[in-house]
Amino acid sequence: MFQNFLPYLLLIASCAVSPAFAQLKPVPFLADQVANGSLQPMQERLPYSPAKPSFFDKEVGQYGGKIRMLMAKAKDIRLMVAFGYSRLVGYDEQLQLKADILKQVDIEEGRIFTLHLRPGLRWSDGAPFTAEDFRFYWEDMATNETLSPFGPSKDLLSQKEKPVFEVIDEYTVRYSWASPNPYFLPALAGPRPLFIYMPAHYMKQFHADYQSAEKLTLLTEEAHKRNWRGLFVSKGRQYKLTNPDLPSLQPWINTTRPPAERFIFKRNPYFHRVDPNGQQLPYIDEIEINLASTGLIPAKAGSGDVDLQARYLRLDNYTFLKEGEENGNYKVNLWETGRGAQIALYPNMNAKDPQWRQLMQDVRFRRAISMAVDRNEINQVVYFGLAKDMANTVLPSCPLFKSEYATAWSDFNVEAANQLLDEIGLTKRDARGIRLLPDGKPMEILVQTAGESTEETDVLSLVEDSWKRIGVQMYVKPTQREVLRNRVFSGEAIMSAWYGLPNGVPVASMSPWQMAPTKQDQYQWPQWGRYYETGKGKPSTMPEVQELVTLNNAWGMASSVEEQAQIWNRMLEIHADQVFSIGLVSGVLQPIVVNKNLMNIPENAFYNWDPGAYFGIHNMTGFFYKDAE
Amino acid sequence: MLKYLLKRFLVMIPTLLVISALVFIIIQLPPGDYLESHIAELESQGESIDPQKIEFLRHEYGLDKPLWEQYLVWITGFVQGDLGYSFEYNLPVAEVIGDKMWLTIIVSFFTILVTWLIAFPIGMYSATHPYSWSDYSLTLVGFLGLATPNFLLALVMLYLANRYFGTSIGGLIDPEFMDQDWSWAKLKSVLEHLWIPVLVIGTSGTAGMIRRLRANLMDELRKPYVVTGRSKGLGETRLLIKYPLRLSMNFFIADIGSLLPSIISGAEVVAVVLSLPTTGPILLAALQSQDMYLAGSFLMFLAALTVVGVLISDILLAMIDPRIRLQGGAQR
Repeated sequence: MFQNFLPYLLLIASCAVSPAFAQLKPVPFLADQVANGSLQPMQERLPYSPAKPSFFDKEVGQYGGKIRMLMAKAKDIRLMVAFGYSRLVGYDEQLQLKADILKQVDIEEGRIFTLHLRPGLRWSDGAPFTAEDFRFYWEDMATNETLSPFGPSKDLLSQKEKPVFEVIDEYTVRYSWASPNPYFLPALAGPRPLFIYMPAHYMKQFHADYQSAEKLTLLTEEAHKRNWRGLFVSKGRQYKLTNPDLPSLQPWINTTRPPAERFIFKRNPYFHRVDPNGQQLPYIDEIEINLASTGLIPAKAGSGDVDLQARYLRLDNYTFLKEGEENGNYKVNLWETGRGAQIALYPNMNAKDPQWRQLMQDVRFRRAISMAVDRNEINQVVYFGLAKDMANTVLPSCPLFKSEYATAWSDFNVEAANQLLDEIGLTKRDARGIRLLPDGKPMEILVQTAGESTEETDVLSLVEDSWKRIGVQMYVKPTQREVLRNRVFSGEAIMSAWYGLPNGVPVASMSPWQMAPTKQDQYQWPQWGRYYETGKGKPSTMPEVQELVTLNNAWGMASSVEEQAQIWNRMLEIHADQVFSIGLVSGVLQPIVVNKNLMNIPENAFYNWDPGAYFGIHNMTGFFYKDAE
Repeated sequence: MLKYLLKRFLVMIPTLLVISALVFIIIQLPPGDYLESHIAELESQGESIDPQKIEFLRHEYGLDKPLWEQYLVWITGFVQGDLGYSFEYNLPVAEVIGDKMWLTIIVSFFTILVTWLIAFPIGMYSATHPYSWSDYSLTLVGFLGLATPNFLLALVMLYLANRYFGTSIGGLIDPEFMDQDWSWAKLKSVLEHLWIPVLVIGTSGTAGMIRRLRANLMDELRKPYVVTGRSKGLGETRLLIKYPLRLSMNFFIADIGSLLPSIISGAEVVAVVLSLPTTGPILLAALQSQDMYLAGSFLMFLAALTVVGVLISDILLAMIDPRIRLQGGAQR
C-alpha cells in the first residue's frame, strides 16, 4: 500500500491541464450568485490549471447535500483544517507527497525549494493567491519582531538556520537553506500544517506597518485586545478557524462566529480541485458541526444524527452502533488506526527514586515485565479479538515493519521473565510472593494513567493479574492528564500508561523523532527529551539511547531514502531489543459511522492523525451523496 | 429599616472580596495552569505545540506573573465590569456566557415552577392528612425523585423520548432551528426537549420541599390560634391559607437566597449529561481546563447573586413575618 518516494529528487508535477470541457455543469448551490453577477462562472473561479486529485477506485459524483458531524467542544472545529486537507503539498492515500495548492515544487540538493503557485488561484473571497501572500508571511509575520519574538517556527529552520526567502515572480517563491531540510515538506503536509502564507490583502489591515495608528487602535479596541499583536493573531488564525472573515484556501469555510453550538461550513467557491470531468470540487455544499457532550455522541450517532463520524466513537460502541444501522440509515465501517500501540506502559527511566531508576534502566527488567503481559488475553477479553497482540512498534501495514519488531520480548513467557528477574538479583520474596527490592520494600509499581476511559483500567487489571505471576504487584492510579504529565516529568511517576508511537505507519522519509528522546512528552525519558528540546538538564548516558539521538540527527543529514530507511530500521531494532516502552495491544479498530448514501468513502482505510489527517487523506472533497436533493 | 439596609449593603462588599479571594485560590489549587491542560489535550490527540510558543503565550496571558498579581488584575477588572478573558474560547468571558444565559434562565424558571406545582399541593395535603396512606404514598413518590440519580434518570428519559417520540438526543432544540428566528416550530421544538431536564431536575427538588412544607405546616396547625380560629367557625380552607400556610412559608422565602444563583447555574450535572446549551457545562469545562477567568468570573457571579438573594429574602421575611427582628442580637 505504501511506497517510498525520493524527497531529494522529488519533482512534484501537477497532473492536470485546464479542463477542455466547455459544458461544465454549474454548482446549483452557487447558481443564484452566478446568475445575479456576484460570482463568476466556474471556469473563471478555477485556477488556469486546477488540481486533479486521483479518483482511482472512486466514482465521479454530483453536487449537493450537507454532512452533519458532532464535536464535543467549540474549538474542535479546527479539525476542519485536517479534514479539508488543502495543502501546498499533501500526502495521497499511498503516503506520497503530491502538489495540491501548489502547481509544482522543484527541489535542489534537498535544500533549495522552489514553489510554483497555480496562476489564477484565488482565496475564498476572490482575491488572487500570489507570491505576495508568502512574502507577507515571511517578512511581516515570521520574522517580524513584534509578531514572532522567538523567530520563525522551528519547522522553517534547518540546523537552527533560517532560510533565504526570495520572490522569483508573481507565482514563484524560493526557500533555500545552507543544509538539507527534510522536515520542510512534511511540515507543509501535516494535519496541522505549517502555514507559510497569509491572506496578505486581508491581514494588512491589522498590521502596524500597513495600517494607520488611529485605525489600528480602533480595531484593537473593538476586538477587546490589549495590543495590535493580539488583534493580528486573533484575526489570522488559519488553523483555529475562529474568524469567519478570514479568507481561506480550504474547501469549506466557517461561516459561524464563535461562541456557538452549531457551526456551518460552506463551500469555497474558488476551491482549486476538480474531478476527472473538470467539475469543481467539493461535491458537498455544507458541513454542519453540532456540539454535544462526549458521552452523548455515540448515542446520537446511533440514532442517525450524523452523516460522518469517527471522533469520540470507540470500538466498544461498535455493537450498539451496528444495532442502529437500519433505523439510523447509516453503516459502520471499521478502519485501522495508526498508533504504534493503543495502550503502552512507559517505565520512567528518569524516575526520582534512585533504586527504581536503576531498575527501569536495566534492560533485563524491561524485558521481563514485557514478557509477563498476556497480550492475547487482553485482545480477546477487551477487544473481541479484533486487535493485534504485539509490541509498541510500527504497524504491519507500514513498509518498515518486520515481524521480529512486533514479537521481540512480547510473547507471554512467565518462566523466562522470572528467570530474568532472578538474574538481576531480585530473588527475595515476601509472604504474598511479591519480590523484594534491594532495600527490602516489596516490588509494587504504581502505574499512573490519564484515567479518561475504562478501557485503560480494564486492560491494566489484566496485566496486574499476569504480573503477579512474576512477583510484581501493580496498582493503577488514574489521575488527570495534566497531573499525570507533571508527575512523569518530575520523575515522581515510575511508570505510566499512555498510547504508543504517535505514528505507527511512517515511511522512511518521515522524521524518526518519535524513536529518539526529542520531546519532554515521551514518558519513558522525559528529562532526556527535555534536554533535546530546550538544552536544559542532562542528556542520557545510556549508549543505546545515545545511539538513537545520533541516528535521529543522522536522518536529517541523510542523502538518500535508502539511507533513511536504514536509519529507521536500526532505530526500530534498538527499540525492539531494548523495550523502552511496553506495548500492550495494537491495531485497535476505529468505528466510522457513514450515511448510507454518502459515497466515495473507503470501506477499509486507516484513520490516523499524522500522517493521515483523519479523513483528510481520503479526499473529503470527493465525497458525495448518491441521491442528493 | 434604612439603617439596616445600609449596613447590609456595606457588609456585602467585604463578603464578596473574601469570596473572590477564595474562588481564585481554589481554582488555582490544582497543579498547572490553563496552558498545561491545553498542551495535555493537544498531545492526547497527537498534536503538539512548540515549547517556545507556550512560553510566549504564558507571558502574553500573564500566567507567568505571581498569583497575587494575577488576582489583582482580575478583581480590578471585575469591579470595572470586565469579566476577564477566556483562554479556551479566545473571547471575553462576557461574550462566552452571554448567549447561554437566556436558555439557562428558561430551563431554571420552568424547573422551579414545576417543583412548586408538584411540591405545594402535595406538601399541603400531607400536612393536613398526616400519617394517612395517601400521605405516605405521595411522600414516597417525592422520595423516589430525590433518590434516583439525576443523570441516570436523564439518560433513561432521553432514550425513551428518542425511542417513542423521536425527539433528537440532547440539547434543547433540533439543530435545524438553531440559527433561525423564533417561530412556532422552534418554540415547539424547545418545549419538546425542555420537559426532560425540567422533570429530571424538578423531581429531585420536590422531595425536600414537600418535607419542609409538611413539617412547618404541621407545626403551625397544632398551635392554639388555629384551634381558636376553627372554634370561631372559620372555614377549613380559609383557615389553612390565611394563617398557618403563610407562617410556614418562612423557609420558602429564606430559600430565595439560593434560588437566584440556581436560576443562572441550573443543574450542572444534568445539563452536562443532556448536553444542554446552558451555562452549567461551561462552568464545569472551565474548571477542568483551568480556564481561570471564565470559571472565576462565573463563580463570582453566582456568589454575588447568592448574597443579593439572601438580602432579598431577609427583607421579605421581615415584611411578612413581624416576629422576625432586624437588629438580631442587639435586642438582648
